[in-house]
Amino acid sequence: MHVPSRRLRNSAVVALTAVMALGLAAGCSKKNDAPAGDGQLKLVVDTFGEFGYKALAKEYESAHPNIKVQLRSIEKLDDYKPKLTQYLAAGSGAGDVVALEEGILTEFKTQPQNFVDLNQFGGGDLAKDYLPWKFEQGKASNGQLIGLPTDVGGLGVCYRRDLFEKAKLPTDRAEVSKLWTTWDDFIATGQRFNAGGSGAAFLDSTTTAFNAMLAQFGDTNFYDRNNNLIADSNPSVRKAWDYTMSMIDKGISAKVTTWSNEWQAGFKNASFAVTFCPSWMRGIIKTNAGDASTGKWDIADVPGGGGNWGGSFLAVPKQSRHAKEAYELAKFLTSAHGQIGAFNESGPLPSNLGALDDATFKATTDPYFNNAPVGVIYGAGAKALKPVYRGPKHQAVLDRAFQPAIQSVEQGKAKADEAWKNALDAAKKEAK
Amino acid sequence: MSLRTAPAAPPPQAPVGEPPAPGRPARYRLARWDLKYSPYLYIAPFFLLFGAFGAYPLVYTAWVSLHDWNLIGSSSFVGLDNYRALMVDADFWNAVVNTMGIFVIATVPQMVLALALANLLNRGMRARTLFRMGVLVPNVTSVAAVGIVFGQLFGRDFGLVNYLLGLFGVDRVDWQANTWSSWIAIATMVDWRWTGYNALIFLAAMQAIPRDLYESAAIDGASRGRQFWSITIPMLRPTIIFAVIISTIGGLQLFTEPLLFGNGRILGGSLRQFQTVAMYMYENAFQRFNYGYGSAVAWTLFMLIALMCAVNYLLVRRSAR
Amino acid sequence: MLSASRRLWQASPLTYVALVLAVAMSVFPIYWMFVVATRTNDTINNVPPSLLPGGELTTNAGRVLANDHAAFLYGLVNSVVVSVAVTVSVVFFSSLAGFAFAKLRFRGRGPLLMVIVGTMMVPVQLGIIPLYMLMVKLGWNGQLQAVIVPFLVTGFGVFMMRQYASQAVADELIEAARVDGCSTFRVFWNVVMPALRPAAAVLGLLTFMQTWNEFLWPFAVLDPDTPTVQLSLSLLATAYYTDYSQVFAATAMATLPLLAVFVLFGRQIIGGIMEGAVKA
Repeated sequence: MHVPSRRLRNSAVVALTAVMALGLAAGCSKKNDAPAGDGQLKLVVDTFGEFGYKALAKEYESAHPNIKVQLRSIEKLDDYKPKLTQYLAAGSGAGDVVALEEGILTEFKTQPQNFVDLNQFGGGDLAKDYLPWKFEQGKASNGQLIGLPTDVGGLGVCYRRDLFEKAKLPTDRAEVSKLWTTWDDFIATGQRFNAGGSGAAFLDSTTTAFNAMLAQFGDTNFYDRNNNLIADSNPSVRKAWDYTMSMIDKGISAKVTTWSNEWQAGFKNASFAVTFCPSWMRGIIKTNAGDASTGKWDIADVPGGGGNWGGSFLAVPKQSRHAKEAYELAKFLTSAHGQIGAFNESGPLPSNLGALDDATFKATTDPYFNNAPVGVIYGAGAKALKPVYRGPKHQAVLDRAFQPAIQSVEQGKAKADEAWKNALDAAKKEAK
Repeated sequence: MSLRTAPAAPPPQAPVGEPPAPGRPARYRLARWDLKYSPYLYIAPFFLLFGAFGAYPLVYTAWVSLHDWNLIGSSSFVGLDNYRALMVDADFWNAVVNTMGIFVIATVPQMVLALALANLLNRGMRARTLFRMGVLVPNVTSVAAVGIVFGQLFGRDFGLVNYLLGLFGVDRVDWQANTWSSWIAIATMVDWRWTGYNALIFLAAMQAIPRDLYESAAIDGASRGRQFWSITIPMLRPTIIFAVIISTIGGLQLFTEPLLFGNGRILGGSLRQFQTVAMYMYENAFQRFNYGYGSAVAWTLFMLIALMCAVNYLLVRRSAR
Repeated sequence: MLSASRRLWQASPLTYVALVLAVAMSVFPIYWMFVVATRTNDTINNVPPSLLPGGELTTNAGRVLANDHAAFLYGLVNSVVVSVAVTVSVVFFSSLAGFAFAKLRFRGRGPLLMVIVGTMMVPVQLGIIPLYMLMVKLGWNGQLQAVIVPFLVTGFGVFMMRQYASQAVADELIEAARVDGCSTFRVFWNVVMPALRPAAAVLGLLTFMQTWNEFLWPFAVLDPDTPTVQLSLSLLATAYYTDYSQVFAATAMATLPLLAVFVLFGRQIIGGIMEGAVKA
């Protein structure tokens, strides 16, 4: 910034005097800012949402008495990303370990100089431990290892057994899975459900279906592998869009925006029967639908076979003063043991093969979802996942161009063609 | 104003100054120096702090807006490019229209209601202070609280407003989804918070109007309504202009209410139907980190505010004549 | 004649009805805030809505304090620190400058006062982009100084204190103190400041409320783990999962201090606003 330095000094002096005059200690109330004890070293872990690291952090501290782990979490990815971007640009403020979600990963990968190359600590040797494509995603184009894989967002379909029964559809999860091997089947089932007279809508919202289809219809979405925006010409995007429009057209959606208050209330009031759910979504459904709905939900396969929504990496920013220790912590959190611990605490699906093959993981069932064998359902899905290349501004294009456009059609505020054009215009802007 | 407690002020002390010592030139010089220069010292904190953190950033915004300036701090001078882009930016104009639309449907009823309320309060009555406090209390709640509470009241499926409308046989309104309904919801928040405040401002001005004006009008047989229009309103003209200008400055910078109404999303609805200019500025500067473009939005908004203040000034001056 | 005019200015029953309605509209959303804050989350979606308070306030408040993402308690403490610091500073510097403008003679007094009045009309909020860049430069982003230091003075405060000082402080008092050999600062501190106390109190109240309620700038410059109370509120309200009884409990807790101040000093605050209006 070009601030005339005399001026800056002036204002800084005035300001500092003023602050001191008021007897204020700098940054007096920062959450969790307990200083580490004597000879102790503090490692800060920045995540968003729920990573399920609370118990693991305690465990790590007791195994390493010289280390204190501070977990900082911002709830929404939307708020997390700009803050992280600022920290990295400013050269300070970021945690020693930071989570990078796959939708924003590519953008951060274009500036590998902000991160420690984990190869220097032997991170490259861990490749065999993880789903191969997932591990590959953590590398920058120059071969630098940016992050270690945490979870993958293998998809299932969560559905309400009671509403299916009312609509005279099968309720058994294997039979339900058979209802919709393809997306056309899925739409047809939705129409059958509507005709069944349950009084509820079929699907919560079509934006999540759009996400799921994007992950299936090709190995690229909005960007090609050279990071050119191809949203307008990529057939996989258009195909996912057309199916989404068809869902809206056939009236199988409750037209509630995912994460909105209506969406949350919809769970409680059973106003829709189906939602696409990655493993971590189970926790959210439980909170939203409440204890009263225990056992009423179940999980079936996703149409079209597999699909990924979300999933993250742990990286170590260059600005960390304890890169080696931070790496060791990240390694622990992404180990088979760490991923199972996180899975049990908050539900993110492991990407570590050791965790996926673990007997206790496989045996996990979820009583809330009618004792669905979630370890098997999600675990099998995880191994079948195919990687999709996400471009630099993938998340922004999805969240701020395509999702609003889809919603505007759902709300009846725009025609499909118009919305498609809006989405492409906005995508171009986001990609700039 | 009468106050018995004054928490911010120190306890008074008896003056303990030494007696003057004439004939000691050094001391005399000091006293002269004190008289001559200390006033500047006393007003300096304001000018320094305001200069550094108020005026300078505002002026510097104009400079930043002439650059392609990003997060890393690298900047290149691009002249008026940002403004050229802004002029053909549909999202920007959309934000301008939204801001103006919300401003108009918020301010007009607000001023009318505030005048009516002030007129009601301008009577001899019991529990005068209680009524005044009652209408001012919304102003005490924070904008964030207003956004949160009204966001819930205007909920589509379970909001109280839709429930009340339902009692009258009106269909549920998806307040966020429609342009007009989102504007109304946001304008309601603004009006709820500010009508009482403006009513008190008008009331103060009404009380300054000499009573004999009304008395002589009453003798001439003018009705209450006629008195209101031909005495109160003209006498209130400067105050109304003042209130409208203050509302213009605040209203065109509207940010928090629409942000929280839309669940904290900076886009302001699926078609940006309630994204204001301030939100668009924030989006560009703090989410896309395009400081140059964001500054161009800010500076354009600044000029828009100046323009609107001038227009309002002329309009109100004319219509109140 | 006298009785006629008195009748003219007395409130009619209709006036009372209209005013009670207006007050009801003003109070209802605040009442609603407390109703929701005292109920469980699932009753929020009841049809018809429940309009009476329930007994869940402490549970909800407990959940607010336990919420990791919102850091509500830190927000509350931070807001107290910020609001007190800003209030003390604004009152002090405004009184000092107001005294100078009202009672001291110096070259450029008139024009400088006009500048101060002018600053009241300037939408300084529009300068937040360079202000933010400045904070980054100073390393203050995410720190409480960032929301304190830029607000240590206000043009409104200076103007208000100037207006009050020029009428409430007698020149003779100042002269007398001066004859006793007081320096101008002594005069200010020992003679003028005590006389300014009523106005200082009102300015303090108004400044405190305004600072407590500030949103855009803290939203831009602070981090979610160092929030002000308003920021905590928005974090709660815009979370992936909005638990309304929890959000409203937090909103009520954030509003309560101001309501208390308002109930105690409402008369003075109203006086301050109305006097300001006549003079401005």
